[in-house]
Amino acid sequence: MAMEKPVGNACTRLAEILCFLAAAMEYPQRSWLTPAYWAALEGLLHEIGSISAEAMFPSYPASPEQFEGLQVEYTRLFINAVPHVIAPPYGSVYLDGDGMLYGASAERAKAFYRQENFELRGSHDIPDYLGNELRFVALLLEQGREAAAELFLRQCFRPWFGSFYQRVSRESRHPYYVVLVSLIDFFTEEEEDHGS
Amino acid sequence: MAVKMTRRRFLQSTGCAAAVLPFANLVQADDSFVKYPYVSPGSMAGTQTVTGGICEMCFWRCQVIGKVRDGKLVKLEGNPKSIDNGKSLCARGNAGIKLLYDPDRLKYPLKNIGKRGAPKWKRISWDEALDECATRLKATIDKYGPQGITIFPHGSSAVYPMHFFEHVVGTPNNSEASFFQCRGARDLAYLATLGVPAGEEVDMPNAKVIFLLGSHLGENVHVSHLKRYLKGLENGAKLIVVDPRFSAAAAKADVWVKIKPGTDTAFLLAIMNYLAENEKYNVEYVDDNGDGFDDFCEGIAHASLSWAAKICDVPEAQIKQVADMLSADMPHVAIHPGRHTSWYGNDFQRERAMACLTGMLGAIGSVGGFVRPIGPKLGRFSWPTPMKEHAEEYSLRRLAKVHKFSPPGTPTDLIRNAALTGQPYPIKAMVTWGQNPIQTVPNQAQTIAMLEQMDFVLVCDVMPTDITMYADILLPEVSYLERYDYIKRGTQWDFAEEHQQYIAARMPLVAPETKDHERKDSVWITNELAKRMGYGEHIKAKSAEEMVDIMLAGAKPTLSLKQLRAEDGIHLQEGEDPYDVELDVVFYSEALEEAGYPPVPTYTEVPQPPAGYARLVYGRLPVHTFNRTQNNVWLHQESTLNPVWLNEQSAKKMGLKDGDMVELVNDQGVKSRTATVVKVTPGIRSDTVYMAHGYGSMNPALTVGVGAGVDDQSLISNPSIDPETGTHGMRNNFVRFIKDGKELSIPA
Repeated sequence: MAMEKPVGNACTRLAEILCFLAAAMEYPQRSWLTPAYWAALEGLLHEIGSISAEAMFPSYPASPEQFEGLQVEYTRLFINAVPHVIAPPYGSVYLDGDGMLYGASAERAKAFYRQENFELRGSHDIPDYLGNELRFVALLLEQGREAAAELFLRQCFRPWFGSFYQRVSRESRHPYYVVLVSLIDFFTEEEEDHGS
Repeated sequence: MAVKMTRRRFLQSTGCAAAVLPFANLVQADDSFVKYPYVSPGSMAGTQTVTGGICEMCFWRCQVIGKVRDGKLVKLEGNPKSIDNGKSLCARGNAGIKLLYDPDRLKYPLKNIGKRGAPKWKRISWDEALDECATRLKATIDKYGPQGITIFPHGSSAVYPMHFFEHVVGTPNNSEASFFQCRGARDLAYLATLGVPAGEEVDMPNAKVIFLLGSHLGENVHVSHLKRYLKGLENGAKLIVVDPRFSAAAAKADVWVKIKPGTDTAFLLAIMNYLAENEKYNVEYVDDNGDGFDDFCEGIAHASLSWAAKICDVPEAQIKQVADMLSADMPHVAIHPGRHTSWYGNDFQRERAMACLTGMLGAIGSVGGFVRPIGPKLGRFSWPTPMKEHAEEYSLRRLAKVHKFSPPGTPTDLIRNAALTGQPYPIKAMVTWGQNPIQTVPNQAQTIAMLEQMDFVLVCDVMPTDITMYADILLPEVSYLERYDYIKRGTQWDFAEEHQQYIAARMPLVAPETKDHERKDSVWITNELAKRMGYGEHIKAKSAEEMVDIMLAGAKPTLSLKQLRAEDGIHLQEGEDPYDVELDVVFYSEALEEAGYPPVPTYTEVPQPPAGYARLVYGRLPVHTFNRTQNNVWLHQESTLNPVWLNEQSAKKMGLKDGDMVELVNDQGVKSRTATVVKVTPGIRSDTVYMAHGYGSMNPALTVGVGAGVDDQSLISNPSIDPETGTHGMRNNFVRFIKDGKELSIPA
């Protein structure tokens, strides 16, 4: 039982949740975005007690049209769109002056991975991709390296995630993604700054 | 999000449902990260030099190397082994990195579930995308025949799919921008006159005179091309530049002929007539190699210096001066055939005049003349041609009995007109590969109407250019830095140096595979389409690598990618002396006469600007290759707008000053979508305005290039068609300015 787990359980749980959220930010496919997945997200919201997020959380997109709507919105937000892709999920787009991929922010993330004895398996994968950064934090947490995880979040992730979060919150036409980035925000925010 | 608790409290709350929810069970095991042995910070270990790159920021294809650190391409340089561009790269070549890491790049196959022009994209799998493309292209073939498909290709990656659609599927309706909106008239005119296409291989380094007609080298930058030009100037060549604008080349010229646009052929005829009348041409070469010279002389006898002076609006003495300079140093005269030559719809005749002038001077195969380098041999690779006869039968040129000297493919307007009218047959599916017809083909309204009447539009590209907005299925291609591709071959850039040949196949500098995209190369995409369309039996190469290896195997001695890799990307071998090759010169062409065209180069007057309008001409900037580079942040930063050049006297009369922002409107009422800045200068004729091409994209998906500067193509709504070749003439459009909502006439 969860309540019987030793100290560090919170870390493990956060790691699981971050992996879960990183996966939720992948392109929606029926293979993984199941009613059970959806219910888990909803449950998470309920436990956090986010009344407004719970209220906006839509029901599972059961029909093909609803599911396609989610896919179209994902494409528009994160891949390609007219007028333009809304929120590329890469740090250097927000942090480094020219808005390119693989900028200085990516180098900082890569250096951090290495400092912690990790490296991306794909040698050309972009280090400050949202999913990579979340999964890295989860890796650290699984090993109980909470301080390192907090440091990574503070130095590498939070500096760009805020802009990304705002863009998605402001522009998304589907509440699912607003809720998702809110959850990521909640689980990666510095405790001291956490307010209401 | 309004929350009741903190993260810590949440995670530590023993009873929370989250604690018992099986999150881990819902997430597939992820293996994004692996263990990494510690390396001290600051170490340069792991920085690799990767060889075998071929640039494609323009189409000159310089040989490059990449500095790759930890999987990231950090710098591009010229390949020091290159005997072409050498270590040098231009600004665009350097900026290739910014294409590679551009967040606007296409990443996944997309399906448009909205409208063409106002797309709503849904990411789909490659299987789904290819199945749909194949089904819909097959449906077009079944209903309308293979000729119901048209392809608009551009660039080396488009060659493989282009040949598939032409040769295997069997459509003749292939509109290559590099021919029909660029150099087609030039190459066919030289072919009809000298028996070989023109190229740009004039021996400028060793010339005594370099003659440029409209070529603005220095603004138009190709590295080895410029090396030739600059070496020639360094060696003391005299430079003659004919241009209505004080171009970068005009600024270096001994003689700048500020010619009235569209009258170049008259200028050339007068020079040739003067040379003939005064026997100042290369009599020996013409006697030995000329065909129909007497008839030719008779045909141009009307072209006196005074006749041309009046037409061209240049002093008679200056025409004579140019003729005498050419004659004095013949045959060591480099008459540059130009590159982009689709200007006025009388371009074949002008280019034939250039070739005839070259022949009259005997400047063929001579030191400093028109010299054809002898490159290395390679094996051929092509799709089989089971539908060749079908394609010929349905050739729109053949059916209409027009444009009998067309370059390969079908003139764009014949395709567009057939699509719009359904005559002589419908064209209902369009494949665009690496070309952006919105910005390359004149009359955008017609192009969009053509797109709208299609049953299916497939676009494959690297970037979300304007045309991608009109796709039903949009496929993402790997960039030139990530793929194997056709072979670049040639000789040392200075023909007078030790004769050498080189062979360089494009090899990837970085791996195309990463987890955040699914781009593919054109060989893979085309093969998958071919299999699904039922043409799998014709596939000769399973991959781009195999295709390149087949070509390399035909080299003498035999080569392979493996060997090229071992040779740092470039194979060098002994070359051959390209000089002293004589070519026959067809001065009077019976073939042209039989086809109903003028047998002797002929000046045809072009439309003149109405009162209050100036002619719009366009060209290149050294940091841009048309729309290909407009979203590149480094290059954009170098030149964010394309200033419109305006004569200073005109500006004064119009009350405009340098730096004013204006919009443009043409004489057909077409307005520019955006504004740009005025460059007030004495360096342009008052009847002409000029701007660089490749600005003002309408697609907001190009977050850097959208709306920056003015898209000159949007104002070219009235193209002319060259009768012999069917290529577009794009400089017969006339504009005036709009400032603060008020239209301003441009005084002539």
